[in-house]
Amino acid sequence: MSHGGSAVVRGSAGGEASSARTVALVGRANSGKTSLLMFLTGSAQRPINFPGTSVERSESEVQVGSVRLRVVDLPGIAAMQAISKDEEVTLEFLRNTGVDRPEVVCAVLDASKLSIELRLLRQLHALGLPIVVALTKVDVAAAEGNPVDVDNLRRALGLQLVPVDGRLGHGVAELRTMLGSDAALLSRPDSQAQSSTWQPPASKSTRRSMTDRIDAWLLHPLLGPVVLFGVLVLLFQLVFRVAEPFMAVVEDGQGLITGWLESVLAAGAMRSFVIDGLVNGLGSSLLFVPQIALLIAFVTMLEASGYMARAVFLLDRLLRCFGLSGKSFVPLTSSFACAIPGILASRILTDERDRLATIAVSPLMSCSARLPVYIVLLAAFFPPNQAGFLLMVMYLLGIVAAAVVAFVLRRTILRGGSSILAMELPVYQRPRLRVVARHAWTAVREFLRTAGTVILAATVGVWALGYFPRPVELHEKFERQRAAVPAGDAAEAALANIDAAESQAYLEQSWLADMGRAVQPVFAPAGFDWRMTVGVLAAFPARELVVPTLGTLHSLGEVEASDDAGAESVVRLRDALRDARGPDGKPVMNGLVALAAMAFFALCSQCVSTLAAIRRETHSWFWPVFTFSYMTVLAWLVAVAIYQIGSLLGYGLA
Amino acid sequence: MTSSATTCLACAVRGQPLVVGEVLGDDALAERLRVSGLWPGALVELLGTAPLGGPMLFKLHGFRLALRRNEAERVTANLAAPAGNLTGSAGAEKNA
Repeated sequence: MSHGGSAVVRGSAGGEASSARTVALVGRANSGKTSLLMFLTGSAQRPINFPGTSVERSESEVQVGSVRLRVVDLPGIAAMQAISKDEEVTLEFLRNTGVDRPEVVCAVLDASKLSIELRLLRQLHALGLPIVVALTKVDVAAAEGNPVDVDNLRRALGLQLVPVDGRLGHGVAELRTMLGSDAALLSRPDSQAQSSTWQPPASKSTRRSMTDRIDAWLLHPLLGPVVLFGVLVLLFQLVFRVAEPFMAVVEDGQGLITGWLESVLAAGAMRSFVIDGLVNGLGSSLLFVPQIALLIAFVTMLEASGYMARAVFLLDRLLRCFGLSGKSFVPLTSSFACAIPGILASRILTDERDRLATIAVSPLMSCSARLPVYIVLLAAFFPPNQAGFLLMVMYLLGIVAAAVVAFVLRRTILRGGSSILAMELPVYQRPRLRVVARHAWTAVREFLRTAGTVILAATVGVWALGYFPRPVELHEKFERQRAAVPAGDAAEAALANIDAAESQAYLEQSWLADMGRAVQPVFAPAGFDWRMTVGVLAAFPARELVVPTLGTLHSLGEVEASDDAGAESVVRLRDALRDARGPDGKPVMNGLVALAAMAFFALCSQCVSTLAAIRRETHSWFWPVFTFSYMTVLAWLVAVAIYQIGSLLGYGLA
Repeated sequence: MTSSATTCLACAVRGQPLVVGEVLGDDALAERLRVSGLWPGALVELLGTAPLGGPMLFKLHGFRLALRRNEAERVTANLAAPAGNLTGSAGAEKNA
């Protein structure tokens, strides 16, 4: 038999497709499917300990002997009827009859709750497909006081059954071999009767498990919320403090490259393009990489440990006050890193109105791309002790706005409907470092992909608009000034001053300045000058562009003096913002303008990728258009209110 | 519904196991509750409650299920007391 089989494979160079086999990974939410897939096929998935995190179907392939296994990971289902959106994906795939149809079902059953798992297994029989059982969390069952007799279970079910450890990968090789074997195709319940009546012995244990003991503290009515608050504070502290040294390294690197380029390239359009456009644009984006990695790693650890589900439990009542669900906490927390994974994660919300409200307010959470804007503006106009406080205020501003908008939405266009919580709180587990690292890397890779394409292209565009046109008259005027400088000790400083004045003059008559001045009246009530207006305009494709744009604007307008190891690009921009003067010689920025600008950036929808994600997830043009409109209007109103009220109080520009 | 159950999950008291009677209704919520293991005869115990009238946490079939109060009210239950203590419990009156 096996001899014949291998002969077929050897002769199949002509394109015999019979050696491919589609396997559907099916199981309840949080039964361990995704981590199992990772071990089965070595694919970089992101298994986490939160019910319903496989929001998309994903698949990968692996060769087992002569069989090419195509393993499809499906969102968890509780029964053979769909209640939530992601469950529909699973059922559709299982019931389809086309080329894509699964040939074997790999039922992933959680040993720690067998009685409920067996109900699902019985429903899976109705598909008429061979079923191989992967029994996960046997260790959890034992720890929870309900050990499982594997051999007994296999006999009772009459199916091929392989115990696996989805966290460490034990048993996965056996499962892989089994799924590729002929036995898998024959694994059908021989006597339906036995497998449909068999029940695991009832739990006799009254001993409190480890999870029960931890929950006694973490879900304590008083202590629980305190711990949750502490975790959130720790999250932000960690992201901001720990990321700092990494950011310094990135800045140092950028400075070194800039210094080297200046020594190689002759002054002119090419040098300005490479340094002010390319290096400055990319460097300003790379600065966020450490923070994104840290934030994602922390959120993954919260999910993988099982704590995220506890946070949902504790916060459900509070979030319902604003028309959201406790489960909204997961997408909203992810949105502090980036709104796009947050919008994807909102699929765990079973109620459509909850989900839409969560999607619409997710972009109000201050994502990691806003952080550099805050940091630069705060550093320029506020002492460090106030800066830390105001940074928190900016995050709170987004949260409060999200609560208000959700509240209004759920009482107007998304009125009615009662959402469902009914969720399992998983057993606590130690997060696997490998999983956390993979997850963080995936996020960073996505970000780098954006930075390498959209951000880079847009930065170069901003540079070009700010560099051109280059009228000859202007150049000749400054050449005459240079010629007039007398030789001597003061010559170098005088020449540098002329260079600066020349750059400034070029910028003032550039296309970018024309655009900024044309739109500036719209933002005049918020106190923005034309440069800040350009920053706002440039940020609409992606707010990662704010700092590079302001940096380009101010570096085009001054001499690139990178001899001080160049490490202080943010400091340089900070000083430039503080020293910027209008035509009348008065400063164009102060603390109040900076505050209004930060509030604007905190609330405005400046990310095309997010709007595209909303379009994909809602299957409608209404929601991206609505989100963009309400956020932009809200941002403008708040910025104007801050500047006008502040001016009345005497903090305005003189 | 002519249920012989005397109480519901929302009235559960810590340390007092209940036996599920039935899930009332046939909407999506009822369906979700049924597939979450709340079928007749299942043994359920209250583990705790979130503050300020938040969700309730139950243990059944060896795992933990969080339900909102209005969700727990959908599930009728009997006391699982060893003696015939099926009458006159404090929670019985609240169950409409």
